[in-house]
Amino acid sequence: MNLSFADIGTGALRAALPLAIWGIGAAGYAAAKRDGRALASARWSALITLLLVVLAAFAMVGALITHDFSVLYVARNNALETPLFFTVVSLWAALEGSILLWTAILAGATAYVAWRGTRALPRLATTALAVLFAMLAFFLILVTTPAADPFVRSEIVRLNGNGPNPLLQNHPLMALHPPLLYLGYVLFSVPFAYAIASLVLGEGGDRWLIATRRFALVSWALLGVGIVAGAWWSYAVLGWGGYWAWDPVENAAIMPWLVATAYLHSVMVEEKRRLLRSWNLSLVIATFALTILGTFLTRSGVVNSVHAFSLSVIGPLLLGYLVAIVVLSVGLLLWRMPMLRDSGAVGAPLSREAIFLFQNVVFVAATLTVLLGTLYPLIAEAISGDQLSIGRPYFDRVEVPLALALLFLMGIGPQLPWHGASRATLERQFTAPIVAAAGGALLAVAIGLGGAFAVVTYALAAFVAATVVQEFARGIHARRTLHGESAGTALANLVRRNGRRYGGYIVHLGIVLVALAVATSQSRTVEIERTVRAGEHFEVAGYTVAYSGLRTVDEPQRDLLVADLAITGNAADTHLRPALVFFPNATQAVGSPGISAGLGDDVYTILVAYDTTARSWATIRVLVIPLVSWLWLGGGVVGLGAVIAALPQPARRELVRPLAEAPATVGD
Amino acid sequence: MTRERALILVALLAIVGAVAWSARPHETTAAERVDRITSELRCVTCQGLSVKDSPAASARQMRDIVVQRVAEGRTDDEIRDEFRASYGDWVLLSPPVASWTGLVWLVPLVALVAGLAVVFGRMRPPSPTVAAPSARELASLRERVAREEALDLPQTDGAR
Amino acid sequence: MPRWLRYAIVAGIAALTVVLMLAFRHDPLDIRTGTVGKPAAAFTADMLDGSGSLSLNSYAGQVVIVNFWASWCIPCKEENPALVRVWERYRTSDVILIGIVYQDSLDSARRYVRDNGVTWPTVTDEDGRIAFAFGVRGIPETYFIGTDGLIAGRHVGPIDEATLVNAIEALRPKAKR
Repeated sequence: MNLSFADIGTGALRAALPLAIWGIGAAGYAAAKRDGRALASARWSALITLLLVVLAAFAMVGALITHDFSVLYVARNNALETPLFFTVVSLWAALEGSILLWTAILAGATAYVAWRGTRALPRLATTALAVLFAMLAFFLILVTTPAADPFVRSEIVRLNGNGPNPLLQNHPLMALHPPLLYLGYVLFSVPFAYAIASLVLGEGGDRWLIATRRFALVSWALLGVGIVAGAWWSYAVLGWGGYWAWDPVENAAIMPWLVATAYLHSVMVEEKRRLLRSWNLSLVIATFALTILGTFLTRSGVVNSVHAFSLSVIGPLLLGYLVAIVVLSVGLLLWRMPMLRDSGAVGAPLSREAIFLFQNVVFVAATLTVLLGTLYPLIAEAISGDQLSIGRPYFDRVEVPLALALLFLMGIGPQLPWHGASRATLERQFTAPIVAAAGGALLAVAIGLGGAFAVVTYALAAFVAATVVQEFARGIHARRTLHGESAGTALANLVRRNGRRYGGYIVHLGIVLVALAVATSQSRTVEIERTVRAGEHFEVAGYTVAYSGLRTVDEPQRDLLVADLAITGNAADTHLRPALVFFPNATQAVGSPGISAGLGDDVYTILVAYDTTARSWATIRVLVIPLVSWLWLGGGVVGLGAVIAALPQPARRELVRPLAEAPATVGD
Repeated sequence: MTRERALILVALLAIVGAVAWSARPHETTAAERVDRITSELRCVTCQGLSVKDSPAASARQMRDIVVQRVAEGRTDDEIRDEFRASYGDWVLLSPPVASWTGLVWLVPLVALVAGLAVVFGRMRPPSPTVAAPSARELASLRERVAREEALDLPQTDGAR
Repeated sequence: MPRWLRYAIVAGIAALTVVLMLAFRHDPLDIRTGTVGKPAAAFTADMLDGSGSLSLNSYAGQVVIVNFWASWCIPCKEENPALVRVWERYRTSDVILIGIVYQDSLDSARRYVRDNGVTWPTVTDEDGRIAFAFGVRGIPETYFIGTDGLIAGRHVGPIDEATLVNAIEALRPKAKR
């Protein structure tokens, strides 16, 4: 019998579904009755399910590589001339493949909790495992029914497929952005599952939180880097010169990230002072719910956006799943609320725990704003039939002040002691940073940055950077005094022994880079559009752009019409080739920008129009965008800081110490 | 005044001065007017880009219309109304404040105010001294720690 | 958590669910424009074949069908036979069909007219002002102008013969049937 990849994939998924359903029962029983055999059964279910789903994913890749056009997904997203790289990457090019990838990652997380989590915290982890199995079963239902079955056959077997969406085969970042995003989304299921388990079991403590701390950090980092990768893709591929348009799909990704950032910080208050318990449970539930809401918004077809997935039955299913999750988790939270009384309260407004509380409020306000702004057109149309739009002007105007508030909190939070600060402490901590802020503001004015918001951003960026440098300097000085280490060794040891703290500071520095990039690129971009003939040139922001002509480039899966530009001036000397790309199945060409990236300016060129009759002229749009590369750099620094914070640290006897000794002096 | 306070004061004044300087009102040029208006109009053939940002042919033609109207001396509202006459309110990327849809501008404010109200309402001023626990408190704390250590250890991922 | 906040959150979630459920009823691609029911913008445009110019005003009091198309638009090609048949039926009456080229090169448009048997008047709109005045968002789009000069209706996407004929007959004055 001839087994095709599609057969293998279909069979694997259909075998995995009953295993997942079995897992719910086995894990639930094991948790309720502390039954070791049931737990072993659940563990093996998890492992075999993982292997089956991974097999299905590989089978899909196999079907894509062998161009099996009898599979509808392959026919729609692949063609004979598609290069191998983009063929493999098409696994997540469209709905069904993406859901399959999601399921695979979720199966991996489930198996991890089944084998490692249950060893550490048997009852809590096993209950969480039951929750994870339930979620896995839902997604397996999606991929084995017409909702999102990737292996569904097409009625006619075509000789060649459509090929991937033109926008999805222009740039290698296609390989990075969706998997990072999905890893970020899906791995948040673990802290959520533990939180639910904690509520179900009636544990009033913090074990669920401490157990999943690193998972939450890693998910947050992957989601954040994934969002930056998406912005970079948008910049390099979509050809309008921007990186963020508050598109519904972009919003869908940033909402869980915002709440997750609040959560990561807020848990420090619970670890240190056993406060904000209900906040933290609410935040983790909200983060997870927003990941599902985001998936719903992008997949259901109710909003139109860059990703433009078509309407399908998956919409109502995802909505039902979302509603079930929200109702169950909020219900559990409200039921257990009496048990979650904080031992104590947040005291002075100028204490670290108060700053964390404020940042919770600001992050939630920012997220609510994005949520309502994205849904407002839907709401308005449902109520009054009016069709309206909410786009960049609204979001930029409301989110920028909130972001600046967060930047400010980011600067003062780590500098304030727990329980409150005296005036002397404030002066000691903040004199240098405030002076630095003044320097930043004056620098902004000196380089001609227009607009109050840009100046404030520079001031706050300098403020935060100064606090971080101050912290590093003090730490290095302390180590040198105590241990006699050199500066370099001291720095290395600081980072190694206090990864959470200093990794966190590095993350903050990354955010500072991002803030500077956004402020500078938004206020100092110079744009010009010229219609030129071959041999002509024009000037923009100190650069000279010389146009030499149009030429065609034929590639197997696409044809390009390329404009040759030579960029000189400002120490630049490069050739850019903005193009219009013609795919066989698309009616209109897709623009492909020519970009010269640098640490200072990016020169961004677009072929906007051309003489279709004789190719005698071309219209070129050139943008000179300062500091936009700092965005990608900042994203990388954030990732690096998160890695440092997540690394295991040299063992310390820390659990006992804080309780056995007298309370530490303020300033820790 | 101590040296620190003097420095802080001077620095704050510098910041306020810089912000005020950058926010000073200046004559908007015609090009700036065009940029502002086109950034608030939606490109009708795109997925949500503004007329200013989009390189699409229809967007560029709409920009030409705005340029012409600005040169003719129309007000911002008149130009926007001309676009609304053709495309409805959908073509505005930012809901006008003066309509019921303008409520959306209140959302961040309400969220912030409500949140801060809840937070400040539940703050308690710190106790005057933070006393060290007594010997008896210490003993009961140690006992509790020993009990908790007898339960599960707090890491799922093994190594710490 | 204060009680009012609890209720607010629950109410908010319920409202959100209702909104999202209602959202399924609407197609995000179906955006109405603002021109239906208003007087059609008077325009004067050059004929594609270079034979002079055409003014909408010269058809005052008649039923006018305005169809926006381009040579690169596949659904336009699909609806073309319906337009051909309808024009054959009404060309001798007072109903007039006008084609307007949208975002296209004139050479490609002329080739399309020649290859697809377009016999009704076709004009160019190179700066897009006519499309703007009508509120065109994409092609093909067909606008129906009544004898009173108001835009009576708009059809987005390829149109079929039955829809065309029904719309035309509804707009024609009863006496002239």
